[in-house]
Amino acid sequence: MKIKVELFGVCRELSDKDYINLELDENSKIKDLRNEMIKIVKNKFPENSNYLEMVKKSAFSSKDEIVEDAYKLHRNDTISIIPPIGGG
Amino acid sequence: MFHCDVVDIKEISLDKAQTFIESQKCGASLFFIGTVRDHNNEKEVTGITYDSHDIMVKKSFEEIYNEAIKKLDLQHPAAFVEHAKGYVPLGGISIIIAVACKHRKQVYDFSRFIIEEIKKRTPIWKKEHYKNEEAKWLDGQKLEVKK
Repeated sequence: MKIKVELFGVCRELSDKDYINLELDENSKIKDLRNEMIKIVKNKFPENSNYLEMVKKSAFSSKDEIVEDAYKLHRNDTISIIPPIGGG
Repeated sequence: MFHCDVVDIKEISLDKAQTFIESQKCGASLFFIGTVRDHNNEKEVTGITYDSHDIMVKKSFEEIYNEAIKKLDLQHPAAFVEHAKGYVPLGGISIIIAVACKHRKQVYDFSRFIIEEIKKRTPIWKKEHYKNEEAKWLDGQKLEVKK
């Protein structure tokens, strides 16, 4: 199933667009999405562990709610990746 | 009384903040203004690009305001919070937190509470631009899932 991942902060470096489209198995959860993002990072930045750590530390949100690793994804969901924050 | 938003730097305005919070019921008002400084970690900074998850940022600002109202002893509170999005040059305003209350202790507590909570939990990111180096996204704080 297709899942759209909106990119923010340092994760914007993962694509020229504001998002990445992933193809995940039915019944996938946030933890599966995170693992897929880790694969993308390892492929794109094989020499830079900072990006890998960033994805491992990232939260994910659906609309305006942070969701846990056990959150079940649905076909065509849009999920945001929320890397460690630092505004103000 | 509360207003919050994420805006382009051209729209950030102290006048707008002052107009929003002013009230004859309040004897104290306080303006916290965050600006882009010229150095960080021994690097010469020329500007900062702010990225924001706008919907979550506004929700976070509203939650922080509501928590402040519950936790602090405030009378006639008013708050105006705006954060800049996009490129902000040296000296430019990144955030305005304008608050008003009946007494001075309340505005200091109120303003401090808001900025410290924003630092902990509002999804905003900074990419620093340097004079002689490549721009870099700054390390941040992991956002925790509320249980």
